[in-house]
Amino acid sequence: MNPKRTMTLNLTDQEMVVLEELSVQKDLSKTALLRQALRLYQMVDTRMSRGDKLFFEDSDKQKAELMVL
Amino acid sequence: MKETIQLIDAQSGKHVEASIFDEITLDHFIETQANWRPIVLESARALSKDPTRATLIPRHYHWDWTRKEAELKMLALRFFGIACHGRLQGIMKVDTVARSCRLPEQQGKPLVYIDYIETAPWNIRLLMEPLGRSQEFRAVGSRLFEAAVLQSQEEGFKGRLRGQERDEIE
Repeated sequence: MNPKRTMTLNLTDQEMVVLEELSVQKDLSKTALLRQALRLYQMVDTRMSRGDKLFFEDSDKQKAELMVL
Repeated sequence: MKETIQLIDAQSGKHVEASIFDEITLDHFIETQANWRPIVLESARALSKDPTRATLIPRHYHWDWTRKEAELKMLALRFFGIACHGRLQGIMKVDTVARSCRLPEQQGKPLVYIDYIETAPWNIRLLMEPLGRSQEFRAVGSRLFEAAVLQSQEEGFKGRLRGQERDEIE
């Protein structure tokens, strides 16, 4: 197991509610969920930094580009 | 992470001490290209000459791990290797973000996805036979799968795991 470092995270009530809802939905602890979010953010940022685009596809196969500013 | 594990000497059946680690570097990728790929290709060529065995040619014969160098920095991806007797015996790439569970009772929940897994060719009997050589170690793939399950538990994914399915294989 890799060593881990600790930090304090201050969230608004609304942010905490969302975090708790997602934790239940994804069957993850809040720490594990935030770790997943960081990994996903790094992956998206890396791809977009090199010029890749991010698309969402709906059930009708219609693609919509997500603009991350 | 570096831990001692056991492999099995394919000739004697005895346990052999090995190590599993996650500090994979470009050097390990280069090692697979330099030491594994020529043997895999030589075996694939030998198999292709026998129509009854051509279907045994491994799908991974063309893999090039060095192309994954940039992925070593990604938090979502982890690489594991197994070394024994000073040589790399197996390597695996897992993804902890890009895939999720498909089973109805686990739909959408996170898991560890085994994206690439490869055992050194001298540990694959089917590849060594056409070259007149013997398999060296057994259990390399099992140890890598075990590492993936442990990774899933460590991530809080409760051991959930997925590998490439038939329609996803390159």
